[in-house]
Parts: sequence; C-alpha cells; structure tokens
Amino acid sequence: MKNAIKKEERRSRKRRPYLAFLAPGMIMYTIFIIIPIIYVFVISVFEWSGLGEMKFVGLENFKTLFTNDRIAPTFWHAVLNNLKYLLCVWFIITPIQFLIAYLFWLKIPMFKYFKFMIFMPYVISSTIVSFFATMIFDPNIGFLNEFLTNIGLSQLTGSWIGDPNMAFKIMIILIIWQGAGSGMMIFYANLMDIPKDVMEASSIDGCNEVQRLFRILIPLSLPSCASIIIMSSIWALGVFDIPFILGGASGGVNGSLDFVNLVFYRYTFGSALNGRSELGFGAAISVTMFAVIMVVTLLQNKILSRFEYNND
Amino acid sequence: MRVRKVLAVLCGMTMMASLLAGCGGSSGTAQQSEENTTEQEETTEAVAEEADDTAETEETTANISGSITVWEHSNSFESALEAVVAGFSEKYPDVEVEWEIKDGDTYYSLLSTAIQSGEAPDVFWTNGTSSSNMADLVSNGALMDLSGEIDFSDLEQDSLQIATIDGKQYSVPWMTLDTRCCYYNKDIFEQEGWTVPTTFDEFEELLAKQKEAGYTPISQCLTDTWSILFTYEPVLAAMEPEYVKGLADYSVKATDEPAANALNKMLEWKDAGYYGDNVMGVNGDATILAFTTGKAVMYIGGSWSTSTISGNNPDLNYGAFQIPDNNGTRGMVGTYANGFSIYQDTENAEAAKAFVQYCASLEGQTAWVQATGGVSGSPKIEASSEIVQEISDAETVYTSWQSVLANYAKEGESATTIWEEDSVKLFEGSVTTDELMDNIAAVMQ
Repeated sequence: MKNAIKKEERRSRKRRPYLAFLAPGMIMYTIFIIIPIIYVFVISVFEWSGLGEMKFVGLENFKTLFTNDRIAPTFWHAVLNNLKYLLCVWFIITPIQFLIAYLFWLKIPMFKYFKFMIFMPYVISSTIVSFFATMIFDPNIGFLNEFLTNIGLSQLTGSWIGDPNMAFKIMIILIIWQGAGSGMMIFYANLMDIPKDVMEASSIDGCNEVQRLFRILIPLSLPSCASIIIMSSIWALGVFDIPFILGGASGGVNGSLDFVNLVFYRYTFGSALNGRSELGFGAAISVTMFAVIMVVTLLQNKILSRFEYNND
Repeated sequence: MRVRKVLAVLCGMTMMASLLAGCGGSSGTAQQSEENTTEQEETTEAVAEEADDTAETEETTANISGSITVWEHSNSFESALEAVVAGFSEKYPDVEVEWEIKDGDTYYSLLSTAIQSGEAPDVFWTNGTSSSNMADLVSNGALMDLSGEIDFSDLEQDSLQIATIDGKQYSVPWMTLDTRCCYYNKDIFEQEGWTVPTTFDEFEELLAKQKEAGYTPISQCLTDTWSILFTYEPVLAAMEPEYVKGLADYSVKATDEPAANALNKMLEWKDAGYYGDNVMGVNGDATILAFTTGKAVMYIGGSWSTSTISGNNPDLNYGAFQIPDNNGTRGMVGTYANGFSIYQDTENAEAAKAFVQYCASLEGQTAWVQATGGVSGSPKIEASSEIVQEISDAETVYTSWQSVLANYAKEGESATTIWEEDSVKLFEGSVTTDELMDNIAAVMQ
C-alpha cells in the first residue's frame, strides 16, 4: 500500500513540470476566452446599453429573440442562411477546391500560371472583393448589365444582388473565387506529400486514373479535408463582411444575404431593437448561436472521426 | 481522437469569440440623423440668456494648457474637424488636441465602452435630442452641463433645442442645416432642353421625359433606409406642404394619410422605372457614383453629399434645387446639426471647455460650416459655394418627418427603428404602406 502511494507521489511529481509548461497558456486562454464567454452568458440575462446600471431581466432577452413577431422570424431566417452556407461549404466549395488541386497535381498545361491566378484573390481583402462585385453587378454603374446591353442581350440584364433568387448564389461564387485558393493549396500540398512509391505500386498493380483518384488520392486527402472543413465551417458560421457590403446591414432584399452576425450587429450595435445599443440582447443572440454551433461541431466531429478511420 | 475533440471544442469557442469580436465592421456611410421639435423653446431661450450673462469676453488663452481627445462620428466631417482644430490650436497653442473619427454604426458602443473603462474622450459628438443616446448619457452622469459654462450667443436660438435636455445645455450645435435636395446634371438638362421644374407636377413630368429619353431619372438605393428617407421627406414636403407644416407642433400625426400618399408615390415611381429598371440591386455606396458618372440624371440626397459629389467628379457640371410644391413654393426639410459635448469627469476640463467654446464661437462655426460645404443655418455665416446657395434657395423650412418619429414615440418604444426596418421591406414588397403606417402608429404617442 505504502509503495503504491509512493509511486503515485513520484508520478505526480513527474507531472508537475508539464503543468508549469501548460499553465501560462491555460491562464491566458482562461482570461481571454473562457472568462469572456462566461461574461457573455451573464450579460445575456440583463438589459444593458453598455453604460449605466445593468437591469436583470432573467430570460426576457431569449423570450424576445424566440417569440417577438418581428425579431424571431428574422433571427431564424438568418440561422437558416448560415446553415445553407455551411452546406455549400461541405458539398460545393470543398469539392471544387479538391478538384482544382487534383488538376494541378496532374500538371495540366500552364498549371503554375493557373495556380498563381487562383490563389491571388485570396490575398485581397473581402471588402475589396465586395467592392469589385459592386462594380460588376450594380445595375447602374456595374459592368455586367452594360456588357449584356452592348452585345444585344439586354433581356438578360437583372438586378443581380437585388434579386433574392440570385443574391446568395452570387455570394457563393464570390467566396469560391476569393477563397478557393487557400483550401486548394492545402489539398495540393497534401497530394504532393503522398509517397511516390505508393503511386508506383498502384501503377504496377494496373490501377487506372479513376481508381487512383478514388482509392488512393481521395482517401489520403481526407485529413487535409478535415482541416479545410473545420476552417471553412468557422468562416461559414461567422460570415459578416461580404454579405454586409453586398447587401447592406439590412441583409439584402428579403433577407437573402442576412446572416446571424448581421442580425447580431443590427440588434446589438445598430440600435435595431429599441433605438439604442443593447448588449444584453446581443449576448442572448451569441449564447443561442453558441448552442447552434455546438450542435454543428458535434455533427462535424462525427464526420471527422470517419475521416480518421478511413485514413488509418 | 481526443485531439479531435479538443480541436472541436476549441473551434466552438473560437466561433463564439468570432461571433462576438467579428462584428466590429463599420459602415462607411456618412448618414446624418435629423432632429428637432418645437417644444422646449422656452427652456432653450432661458439657457441662452443664462449663457449670455455668463459669457466670458476676455481672452483666456494664456492660462490654458494640456491635452484633450476629441471623437467625431463620421469621416465626412474630417476636413471640417481639421479646420476647427487648426483654428483652435492657433488660439490655444499650449493645448494639444488629438482627434479621432469613429466612423460607423458602432460609434455609441465604442463611446459607452470608453466611458465604462474610464478612457472616455474629453470631447465627443452626440446626435443631441434627435436620438436617445445623449439623454442616456445625461441620465448616467456622463455629460457636463454646459449651461453657464459656454457662451452660446453666436448661435441661432432655434439651434439650441437639439442640445437641451431638461432646460440644460449639454452640447454645442453646429450652424449647418442638415437638409435634402435634388441634385441634377446641368449638362444633360441643357443637352435635352429640360429646365428645373417649378411645380411638383412638372417634376413628375420631367421624370417621365427622362425615362422616355433612356436615362435613369433618379439614382436611388431602395435597400438603404437613409436613402429612402432622404428622398421621401422632400417628396412628402412637395406633395403635402400643409400636412408637413403641421409636423412642427405635432398637430398632425406622422402616420396620417398624406404621409402614406408620399410613400405610395415613391412606390409608383419605382414601378414606372424612375429609379432605373433594376433598382433593387443598386448598392448604397454606388448611388452617388451613378450620378457623378452621368449614369443617372438626378440624385436626391443630403446637402452634405455636395463634397462627395465634387470629390468623385470635380468636372461634373451640376446644380441643385428643392422640389417645389404645386403652388410653386420651394420648401426645405432641414434641421440643425448637433456638435460636441464634454465628458463629465474629464481630467482636462479647462482645455475641453476652451475647445467647445471655440466651437460655439462665430470663428469656429464659420470654419466648420465652410469646411463641410453645408447649408448655413446662420445669417452671420456665408454659404461656402454656389451650389450651397442653390440648395438654400427655398421659401420655407419644414420639420423633418423622421424627427417626429424620434421625438413623439411612446416611452421605451422606437418608431425610427420600425421605419428603418420596414421602409426597406416596403420597397422589397414584403410589407404594404398601410402595414408600415400601422406598425409605426402602434408605437407613437
């Protein structure tokens, strides 16, 4: 028994240096991440403009968010837009990124030039990308309508971002144009890392191109796919700048470009609730989104664990 | 697997943090709000008299030194603030003025945070009584009572209303009239043989002619509530002048039939293509650009747009007029702009008071009005350009409809918020004019 205790003491002594190394990071993480999150939970039950006395209102902010005739539909519509965007990330944007990386890996003609051209928009800020979009799609000063008119296709001109059926699609195209480069580079680096002997072995075994793609390249790219999905999901659930500039703070025509961050912005800082800043209500939106994000994260976890299994 | 779970939790945390932190974007629009009511006249007069009594006429520059921080709310006032600070610094060389423009919708949140954290600027802008923010700051003891501290004798009596709460003066208004007008491209008018309309019917006929000639008559953004408002108010004033007169003392309701008629008129113009065939796709930032590049013949907007128009295209030959009513009377919807207040617990009270006093002086006001290129609200200050004189060419000044929403909403309600949300929905087609008016009426006194 004594020996067992001594062993345990020795073990715990051995652990201590690790604790010392962990402590600074943990303390910083607690101060800058954990405490603010707890603080957000706390102020979500208060009415507070950010100045003066905080008035405790219990769950009133949540009740307003979920039941108010004006606010609840707007909020849930924005949540749905976020989830719609998330699905686009999973099933459209990420596959396109892989496809481009695969074409580069195959060394298609002028692939270095295309690689540079596709990656270049990634370094341009979203604000400037959105401004480019305005210069293309704006019905009055944009290039697109003028071009269509000049080539005799004026019947095809439209309000583009002002058209609820087109706005979301245009945003996704813009995001692919701007952001495809980052994921593409990760996929490409992953493909380049696949050992040559694996490829040679597959050729010797008579593996054709399609088999090589589906049996070797895709399975071996799943770890990088997981990383890309994680990053893109963060972006999808926190998207703000591009829809804000494209559709304005009101979230575009009929809310076609309305996302939770825009709703949060309007009701927290933009005085859309009662004519003044309302941090308590904004915190209630954040707490609700925290729950939504947790659900999404759990789902993602399931997918990622599958990827890990396939990669073993 | 465990690493994945930790990663997943970290992601969740990061998303939460990004939700909170990522929303600090700012809109670059320079929309001014309006203000004014006729109530409180007695109190403001009393304040002005009190200020007269306590006016300090001697130069006190020698004894004042220190450093102050000044916050403005919009980039469009940068050159004006520079001009005022330059004038002040000449007079008070020992006072260092650091100024910052906090452009965007988060201005008041930043201000609240700064006050909470004890880092408040010594002098800062508020929108006066035209929004609830100044009253909120006063009730929390954050603003210095300037009554008796500052000499307001160079200012117009009417302007003091926007700076007065419970008979006390908390800010210095600017002698600029925030007004709206119709800018027009003189070259296109001349080329097509059009003239500035003298009645509202003529204005409508002009729109039809412009459309027929293949032009976009009015550059407009119908997804931006401020663009809608700045067109709506002059149209309302031109269509229903008698009704608009009644807004001054709230003898008419903001949601009466004439108000709805003007909105319906704007909807009619939308359907007729007077804002362009695909107006719902027009971006707010591109509205002025469409006018300055000659893609649209006219632009109805704030008088403060003059500097932006000239900046965008210095060669543009343009003019401005107030839309006339059917009697030929040109009315101008205009209100005084609010200026700076002093933080109650400023450590540099003397320097802050000196700065605000300079703002209240004729010299400071002149520097501001002329640098903004705005419409002068004082006979002592001359308009800075020909275009401003054209904007000011009006027989009467009307109260802003939006200021009535701000000033006569029920306690704890915000009619302006409903207008801001529903005005956009009206043009999207998701609410009707009657529904919009009913929603506003429900929260009005």
